[in-house]
Amino acid sequence: MNRSKQTEVLGGIITTIILILLVFLSNVEIGKLTFFESIANTIVSPIQNMFISLKNKVGGHNEYFSNIDDLIIENNELKEKNRELEEKVRELEIIKADNETMQAYMNLSQKYAEYKTIPAYVINKDISNLSNNIVINVGSDDGVGVKMTVIADKGLVGHVISVTKNTAKVQVIIDPASTVSCSISTTEQSLICKGTIDNNQVLRASMIPTGAELIQGDSVSTSGIGGIYRKGIYIGNIKEIITTSNIIDRYAIVEPAVDFSKLNNVLVIAE
Amino acid sequence: MKKISVSIIFLIFIFILYFIQVGVFSNFGLFGVMPNLFIILVLYIGLFTNSVNAICFGIIIGIFLDLLYGNTVGLSAVMFCIVGYIASYFDKNFSKENKVTILLMSIGATIIYEFGFYSLNGLILGYDFEWFKFIRIILFEIIYNSLITIILYPFIQKSGYKIDRIYKKNNILTRYF
Repeated sequence: MNRSKQTEVLGGIITTIILILLVFLSNVEIGKLTFFESIANTIVSPIQNMFISLKNKVGGHNEYFSNIDDLIIENNELKEKNRELEEKVRELEIIKADNETMQAYMNLSQKYAEYKTIPAYVINKDISNLSNNIVINVGSDDGVGVKMTVIADKGLVGHVISVTKNTAKVQVIIDPASTVSCSISTTEQSLICKGTIDNNQVLRASMIPTGAELIQGDSVSTSGIGGIYRKGIYIGNIKEIITTSNIIDRYAIVEPAVDFSKLNNVLVIAE
Repeated sequence: MKKISVSIIFLIFIFILYFIQVGVFSNFGLFGVMPNLFIILVLYIGLFTNSVNAICFGIIIGIFLDLLYGNTVGLSAVMFCIVGYIASYFDKNFSKENKVTILLMSIGATIIYEFGFYSLNGLILGYDFEWFKFIRIILFEIIYNSLITIILYPFIQKSGYKIDRIYKKNNILTRYF
């Protein structure tokens, strides 16, 4: 009996202490218990981490396996979209190139509005090192004939020397066989521009009148003499004047306005 | 029969070379100078077939090019014809066993063709002859043509002797002596 009374008393004391402790601890700020917290964490965390990582792994794989089908579908959709976009880009590039060509033709036509012109583009260039003729994609079917003048946006290109139904061969002004009668814009004095075999694609202006005063940078245009080229088509500028001991032999280097290495769009002036 | 098939192969080869020349070498010049593959072809025909064949193919190639690009028709034809004849002359007088002789022949053919082409064109069309610029162009063309000949030499030799056997069955060993 005594024993049970003792136990009851002990139980009561322990309960009281626990309750006091509880009251005490509940009033203590949690921040002040970091030491204990850290000890607890140190004990628990390794194992806990292991479980968490295991769980994560399994969970991740679960997700992977569950999502693979969705991913394949999504990937296919994206691929399809990419293909569509690439196609659109290509189409736009073609439209852009067309637009540029059309604009070039527009500029050309506006610039030479007084002439009736046939637009064309260069389809072939000479394979010889000693001549520079070109072939364009319009022929007798389009109304092109021999001796018609060919121009580009910046100036004179040459004239047609032969035509087929769908193509025309053009002798460009830089071809060594070409001779153009020109005049200097400032003084209106005439000279003869011949093509050269020079790599820099320049013209050699000779037969300069002895009294003529040439200035570097003077613009040169066709004089209309000769019956092939009309008067006033711009050719280029005088780049260099080469004086010789005899003034009759002097000549000038004329730089054509047209860049023949990049020549693509041209206009044929229909008679 | 074999000779006809060889001729057909040559004709096909002319077109292939034309497209290579237009498509590839027109865009990859050596200082703006292009090689002339047709000179090598005519030389090849002259060396390994006979003079008649070389002259005929020279004329065909020349007229073909003249019609496409030339200011007049016939000048390239004449020059290729001469190159073809000279090639067959080379064949009779020089050995084809050596790489250097083939190289020298290609250089000679290039000089003859370009010089003849330029002077004839100049005389007919009234060029202001610019010989220094011409020499510069021809030098680069010679270098380019020689490089192509060296690269193609194994092919030239192998196929050349096969054609040689068709055209010169009996006198292949005796013609040098």
